[in-house]
Amino acid sequence: MQIINRMVIPFLLLAVWWAGAEIGWFNSYLLPHPAKVFDTAVSLTQKGTLFEHLAASLYRVLGGFSITFAVAFPLAVFLALHKKSYYFVEPVLEFIRHVPPIALIPILILWFGIGETSKLAVIFLAAFFPVFLNTSSAIISCDVKLLEVGKVFSFSGREQFFKIMLPQALPQIMVGMQLALGYSWRSLIGAELIAASSGIGYMIIEAEQLSRPDIILVGIFTIGLLGYFIDYLFLKATRFILHWTGRKEKLWQE
Amino acid sequence: MAGVRLQDLDKVYSLNGREIKALNGINLEIAAQSFVTIVGQSGCGKTTLLRILSGLEEKTAGAMIFSDPPGAQVRTGIVFQEPRLMPWLTVQQNMVFSLRGCTKGIIAKQANKYLNLLGLKEFQDAYPGQISGGMAQRAALGRTLCFEPRLILMDEPLSALDAFTRRKLQQEILDIYLLEKQTIVFVTHDVDEAVYLGQKVVVMDKGKVVDEISVNLPYPRDPYSRDYARLKERILDAILQKEAGTRQNGSQGGKK
Repeated sequence: MQIINRMVIPFLLLAVWWAGAEIGWFNSYLLPHPAKVFDTAVSLTQKGTLFEHLAASLYRVLGGFSITFAVAFPLAVFLALHKKSYYFVEPVLEFIRHVPPIALIPILILWFGIGETSKLAVIFLAAFFPVFLNTSSAIISCDVKLLEVGKVFSFSGREQFFKIMLPQALPQIMVGMQLALGYSWRSLIGAELIAASSGIGYMIIEAEQLSRPDIILVGIFTIGLLGYFIDYLFLKATRFILHWTGRKEKLWQE
Repeated sequence: MAGVRLQDLDKVYSLNGREIKALNGINLEIAAQSFVTIVGQSGCGKTTLLRILSGLEEKTAGAMIFSDPPGAQVRTGIVFQEPRLMPWLTVQQNMVFSLRGCTKGIIAKQANKYLNLLGLKEFQDAYPGQISGGMAQRAALGRTLCFEPRLILMDEPLSALDAFTRRKLQQEILDIYLLEKQTIVFVTHDVDEAVYLGQKVVVMDKGKVVDEISVNLPYPRDPYSRDYARLKERILDAILQKEAGTRQNGSQGGKK
């Protein structure tokens, strides 16, 4: 029932689009008939073109995201635990944080060419700060009272980190990862629109040059649906990892 | 179990360049296997004293000599005012949180012992957010007991609980004390609680020990007995007289 409720608005929008296309409200060049878009999606899927582009984009997103996490997470932990070091790197980080990754694409292409490295660099820049900032702030704001419990039990620094800080910081770290995944996806499409020879972004820009709005829409729907699906999977994984956050029912009587 | 002797213990905090003396020449003897309660008004330094005993804070001056082993810092456990349970661990996992390098069998044995003793067996798989304040404080006590400390410190552990739960937990703490004979230092601002639990009541005021009163009443104590009431009165007098004395000194100082 919940799923049906959530699908009401998308179906209404589709119905309006369909009806508008049938009646002739929309210029078919600007907004093709949904049936045509569907046929194009089926055809692109059968030919394997859609999957080919999708695989290229997914590979970049997952690769870029993994590299970002591997760099941003330990760096954030290190700087959160060594606040004096953070003082020295803060100006550089703040500078980079305020430059949109898309604005760096021209220089990244100059440095790394139009191959995979420049796309991964764009994803890295887009996903770095959500992971970095959420991780560092979660570690810094770790409850001192809980750390004192570890201190009383003579926990080593390593034990304090793995037994108290990390589990406590995990919810915020997961939020950072979720945001980073979304940013990776968005920035990649931006990068593919500017310079690529494969990927969903490239498929869209190529369709624009071929005057094929139906393919453009297939690309847009693919991006939206896949983003939604990835987010859904991530939330499921988050709920599994942070299993205690869902256990709210009281087991006692007042 | 360890006893401890405190000699001329001072603790000074620095706040905006101003020195605040939280403890001022504390001299106190806590005998091994004894139950000592420390009572005093808010800000008298009792929590600071406990934090120094637990190793959470450093003393500024003076000596803290543990009886066994002599001179060394002993294994100390503390039950805080709030349970401070790890929200991501179940009650059972929280209770064995301190155990490291033990076999699964030993961990399970230790957990079962205190889950049963504290009546938490039924809630062993619950998370802290799912249990009441009293149960959470019991789990925190169990966590400290599982650690097998040689000195147990309790910092107003029952102050946030309702009167019924508090009395029930006081009795449970006493039962555990009588069973295991561990050295317990229990800080409270409740005079009744101090007399109900302690074999010796230490009265503190403005960072100093102002009185030490032995409570020679057998357990379980009758809060309505004459001796009990007399002891309560004596402790209250010690606190109030000291306060009155300070006020008088203050007003005399003002006249000068």
